[in-house]
Amino acid sequence: MTPGARPVLATERAALMLQLVPYLIGKGEVSVSEAAADFDVAPAQMRAMVEKLTVIGRPGEGGYWQMANDLFDIDWDLLDEHDRISLTNAVGLEHAPRLTAREAAALLAGLQLARSLPGVGDSGVISGLLAKLALGASSAPADLIVAPEPVDGVRGRVDEALHRGVAVSFTYKAPDAPATTRTVDPVKVHIADGQWYLQGWCHLRQAMRTFHLDRVRDLALTDIAITHGEEQPPALFDMGETGNLVRIRFPAAVAPLLRGYLDRAQEVATTGEVSVASIRVADPTSLKRLAAGRGGDVEILEPSGAREAAADWARAALDQYTDAGGRGRGVDDPSTAEG
Amino acid sequence: MPADDLSASTAARNAPEERLLNLVVALMATDQGLTKDTILGSVSGYREQGEAGASKDALEKMFERDKESLRALGVPIETIGDRLEPDDLRQARYRVPTSEYALPDEITFTPEEIAVLNLAAGVWGEASLSADARSGLRKIGSLGITVDEPIIGYAPRISLHEGSFAPLQRAIEQCRVATFPYLKPGDETPRTRRIRPLALAEYEGRWHVYGIDTEIERERTFLLARIVGAVKVTRESFDARLREGAGERALAGLEELARRQSALLEVHPGTEAALRLHRRGAPALQGIRVPFVDVHIFADELASYGPEVRVVEPPALRDEVRRRLRAALEVNGEADR
Repeated sequence: MTPGARPVLATERAALMLQLVPYLIGKGEVSVSEAAADFDVAPAQMRAMVEKLTVIGRPGEGGYWQMANDLFDIDWDLLDEHDRISLTNAVGLEHAPRLTAREAAALLAGLQLARSLPGVGDSGVISGLLAKLALGASSAPADLIVAPEPVDGVRGRVDEALHRGVAVSFTYKAPDAPATTRTVDPVKVHIADGQWYLQGWCHLRQAMRTFHLDRVRDLALTDIAITHGEEQPPALFDMGETGNLVRIRFPAAVAPLLRGYLDRAQEVATTGEVSVASIRVADPTSLKRLAAGRGGDVEILEPSGAREAAADWARAALDQYTDAGGRGRGVDDPSTAEG
Repeated sequence: MPADDLSASTAARNAPEERLLNLVVALMATDQGLTKDTILGSVSGYREQGEAGASKDALEKMFERDKESLRALGVPIETIGDRLEPDDLRQARYRVPTSEYALPDEITFTPEEIAVLNLAAGVWGEASLSADARSGLRKIGSLGITVDEPIIGYAPRISLHEGSFAPLQRAIEQCRVATFPYLKPGDETPRTRRIRPLALAEYEGRWHVYGIDTEIERERTFLLARIVGAVKVTRESFDARLREGAGERALAGLEELARRQSALLEVHPGTEAALRLHRRGAPALQGIRVPFVDVHIFADELASYGPEVRVVEPPALRDEVRRRLRAALEVNGEADR
């Protein structure tokens, strides 16, 4: 679809108005601002759609123009004086339309991810919903499958702590840092790219922190009632203005693979096929992991300490392989995902 | 453009969405269906344009376009042909059967289900599927269900960074063959692949498209991250029945791959590698055994752990890890190395 093209916009408005009639009938009376929020449009757009509704109706009979009761109508005084919408005559479209294939697919995929949440997946609610959405779609939605993840002990206990409103204590081992014991008021569990993160108020740091659940061990519930649950959590991985600047060089084509880092980049300059990015990180030597994993695509320009750390990291890893193995290519290896 | 034939004032008074909605109302109000002539002469939007002097040809083209637009919105427009002359569409009648248009009455949702659906609709973040999910929720919401307490404490997200996702989803919906340039790791240049796409599957945080490669007539799974150019949706269609159960087959295929191939790894305890690999692996005589789906992606991960992990087998994986480490050392090492 091309946003901005007039025919598409008209079709989208038509789609919204098909939903508007059953919505208004269901609400009875609703403020312009509430309806606008429910439809993700500006209040002025909602008002325009409602006004437009009043010129829509059944065709006139036998060559005559439509009569008033052949058209939708609203309580105009209510709209003009109180910014509230109330339908006074409906001439069709009372039923909620079926879901389009795309709408059903978007919800179905979301449900599959929701299934991996403790307490949701095992309740039978999901399988019932999957069946109902399939029935309620106007045509078969594309299969969007999200692979299920097992709920392990840590995830289950975090869920219990969230529900009971108590702090958890655990051992946390961040990469290249000594293990620490934390007590945290759990606020939210973020799931992104299949990874689980606990966001909460850390009693040790006296601040909101995000913890990768894979790095959490010996998690236990405490008797301490949470005191920071209401606070607005910052965006995931927000580094703010803290941290040290690192400059890396890489082929422009691999930028999508460095997304997680480049999202935090201060600046990315591309000349020809080569890009240089300045990124703020808490510990510049931590980029040794990125450099090793990207296999020569990422060169650390500055600081020199981080560059040396990356070289040492790769050298130490190679030193583990004392046998003189041949150079593997593995291009047509049967074990690639591409079957 | 037929719309250009019209005077500006007429066009302004009759926005396209008004015409589309008048058409839906008219087609839903009839049981026997309306002929095209009746529609063009009586439905508001066409009628005014006809009276303002638009040609019959222009009106008919407009009607064809409107039908396509409405069908794309999921409005089922039925064509009832003349029984004696089924190929002659001049006497065809059009209607929208309410039973196929509306959400079936027998589908009801409990407040608990609505709470779960709200959570499910939130997974798309800023992706364009978010608007689709919200729109679907609105339709369900207008069935007038009271909403349970929202499910708090969770923010599940599905990330969608691949531009190939949307066209592939469209190709699946429309049962059309799609082509795309695909770059296998180690290859210098991408090769154009041609598939009947059947399902999209996220596995271990990565999106795959599953379909039948038309060149070899076999089922294949492709990583979206390796599609390096535009996906073209061709006009060639395929049997929709191929899509039945495709999502489960795609998932089963990926799981089968992971079952079939595993790596034997020595991992230093207490390290990042140990923490991250432990969840996925099982203890073995010499280290741990971790299943994997793609040797190149797993090699990327293992190389990043540096000296925290040593690959014992398979040799292909070990070689890939060492190749990455050597290259990283070469690029980041001193000038004299």
